[in-house]
Amino acid sequence: MTNRPSTEDLIHRLATAPPPARLSGRGTASLMLGAVGLALALFLTLAGPRADLLPALADPQVLAKLILPLVLAPLALMLALRSARPGVGLPLGLLALPALAAVGLFGARLVQTPPGLVLPGIMGHSAAACLLSITALSAPALLLGLILFRRGAALRPALTGGLVGLAASAAATAGYALYCTEDSPLFFTLWYGLAMAICTAAGAVAGRRLLRW
Amino acid sequence: MSLGPDLAQAWHCPAAAVRARLPARAHPAKEAALDGTTDWDLLLARANAGDAAAFLRFLTEVTPPLRGLIRARGRGLPPDLHEDILQEVLLAIHLKRHSWTPGHPVRPWLYAVARHKVVDAFRRRGHRLHLPLEDVAEVLAAEADPAPLAAHDADRMLGMIDARSAALVRAVRLEGHSTEDAARGLGLSAGAARVALHRAMKRLSELAERMK
Repeated sequence: MTNRPSTEDLIHRLATAPPPARLSGRGTASLMLGAVGLALALFLTLAGPRADLLPALADPQVLAKLILPLVLAPLALMLALRSARPGVGLPLGLLALPALAAVGLFGARLVQTPPGLVLPGIMGHSAAACLLSITALSAPALLLGLILFRRGAALRPALTGGLVGLAASAAATAGYALYCTEDSPLFFTLWYGLAMAICTAAGAVAGRRLLRW
Repeated sequence: MSLGPDLAQAWHCPAAAVRARLPARAHPAKEAALDGTTDWDLLLARANAGDAAAFLRFLTEVTPPLRGLIRARGRGLPPDLHEDILQEVLLAIHLKRHSWTPGHPVRPWLYAVARHKVVDAFRRRGHRLHLPLEDVAEVLAAEADPAPLAAHDADRMLGMIDARSAALVRAVRLEGHSTEDAARGLGLSAGAARVALHRAMKRLSELAERMK
């Protein structure tokens, strides 16, 4: 025999227990945005945005490297929230839209580039700094997001963690794009994408442990 | 869920039955509340708004089907563990109750949470359990159908309320006559019959609650 209380007692205790924490969509979004915003504010104060920011934004390719992550971040967060709420549909296919747009930009630039310039275009001159900066800028928001998402009910913790990582890193990427002067889609779709993939993977690995319940 | 004419159905979903027959009547949530019925969506919504009594009722109502599910699936485990697992599931329902999105039906949420915890509980006890979501839905739906009233002998219950109300309930809920027809048979106006029926159903629910 075990010493457990009767189920009826448990039910009565649960009914009068203090209400559990609630995963608030708006609250999570503002707190994560705050974390990314603080990190970016620090970064842009120290490193400064690119000198030619305003004229550069007239170039649709430069605009794209800002807008794509800006679209991706709320989308990934919305999906993360849904994934932590059982019984709600999870349209993961929506992630294909920004991904396809990025691939399209990459492909369009690829066919316009002479073969000898493709590799230099891809490698750019700041790939390592890009990867390092984006992952570092996302880290606080990712950590905060994972803590907040413990209040949810993620049926697939790795998926939810990955989406939180994607949301955090997409927001960080949008800010980093204000600093980065590499304007070729050959560079930014690949390296921004890789940086976000690293954060997504980190979120998935951490989520697997942190978001279990 | 289909609106079959069987007894359990008639007892379980009086609000749905009334809605089906009298489509012109008021708003479903209000209707369910008036009927004193056991609408899980309504109960959990109230519970999450801070109504402890509604949460008590919700947990009380989902417990028998959950217990049935765990028993049906956990034959390989000592029965003593079944109640432990049930308690883990109930605790999870409490801790994660805000992850239900108001406006969405409660059942898919409940099935997903129950399945997650049951599979997890079995895994931690060294039993691999393959439990497709459809199975959970099926077992819980099948178990959920007999409502508190159906658990007891309908005639015995009807014997505990006044004769006219009992006749009204019998005609409308068991024999499937319309409220208007039943009212005419008993010499009542349709409106009076509806009110009497509401009161009778409420009284029966209370009796069933007490007899548990």
